[in-house]
Amino acid sequence: MTQQELRSFFTPYIRAAYPSCERGGPDTLFVGEEGLTAWAGLKSLTLRDAMRELLSVHIWPERFRRNYGLFSVMAMRHMLKSRILLVGCGGLGGHVAALLARMGVGMLRLCDYDVFDESNLNRQYFAQHATLGKGKAATAADGLRAMASHIDCEVVVEPVSESTLPALVAGMDVAVDCLDSIPLKMALERAALRAGVPFVHGSVLREEGFAFLSLKEKRLPSLYPHSGRDEDEKTRAQAMSGVAAAGIACLMAQLCARHLCRVAEGRELTASPLYHLDYSVPELESFFS
Amino acid sequence: MRLHIKLSTTLRDYVKGYEPEKGLHVEVPDGMTVGELARHIGLPLEEIKIVMVNGRHSEADDAMRDGDRIAFFPAVGGG
Repeated sequence: MTQQELRSFFTPYIRAAYPSCERGGPDTLFVGEEGLTAWAGLKSLTLRDAMRELLSVHIWPERFRRNYGLFSVMAMRHMLKSRILLVGCGGLGGHVAALLARMGVGMLRLCDYDVFDESNLNRQYFAQHATLGKGKAATAADGLRAMASHIDCEVVVEPVSESTLPALVAGMDVAVDCLDSIPLKMALERAALRAGVPFVHGSVLREEGFAFLSLKEKRLPSLYPHSGRDEDEKTRAQAMSGVAAAGIACLMAQLCARHLCRVAEGRELTASPLYHLDYSVPELESFFS
Repeated sequence: MRLHIKLSTTLRDYVKGYEPEKGLHVEVPDGMTVGELARHIGLPLEEIKIVMVNGRHSEADDAMRDGDRIAFFPAVGGG
């Protein structure tokens, strides 16, 4: 199809048109999903691949109209083909998954063997009365598909361990740590960085939390040189603020997005500082090792 | 020397009346180390996992200077 034929095909589905910043350049069109689905069917493409092709000719999915100005065409196209491993689908993981799905990430591998219980209702995004007793990873996948038709979710319900992590990180663009165990967080960081996969850490306790992105250098061993599983048990008995979990999850999702945009645009890739977010004040601090 | 101390989460339980917005302002002898400071204000050393001095990672036997900002953290491992 020529540009003109394409624009004519999408005319019934146009929700908005923004003028080009370049003189004489084509308007950017924002088209509804019905049109995208019809065009994908015509071209025998998945919805996600159709979105990626159309972005390069200034036709954006209406669902990403409010991403326009935040993400370039290159970044948006890269986001749609990106694959993210998310380990833990509870307090942090549910929020991170929802943010990434709405942002436009193409594929999420969701790992969690646990089921929702009543004590999760104060903070976990996919915990609802109707999902109590149901698997966290599968519930998250259902919820994500309902909010983002372009997303592909893979559900892993086996407990993660040192031996299973290498296969889980393989082929991923980012590995995201939403676990609630310091030894397992360290094992994920090791496996991800060993495989050359950027690692995003998040952790929360009471009204505070940490987040960072690492590219090469392991950072958790220097933060927790002597930590063991007894600390995990202490942590599980502590208060966990829903606000702190959501706030740290926002930082983690932003670290993922920032990294993916930089890859898409060929910019220098950098690790982040260690961020400490304290909602009891509230304040955000950056620490440098 | 005067120091500004910030305590995180469970470590606040050991200092009565700790206010997160203000932290603690203390006057201590010159040359005191991070570990000695922790003991001085009543923190159990085994509960402290991370120490930041002026935003940089620090160890228990590191010395401090007048005006430093010291932050003590326990293990923060929830997900």
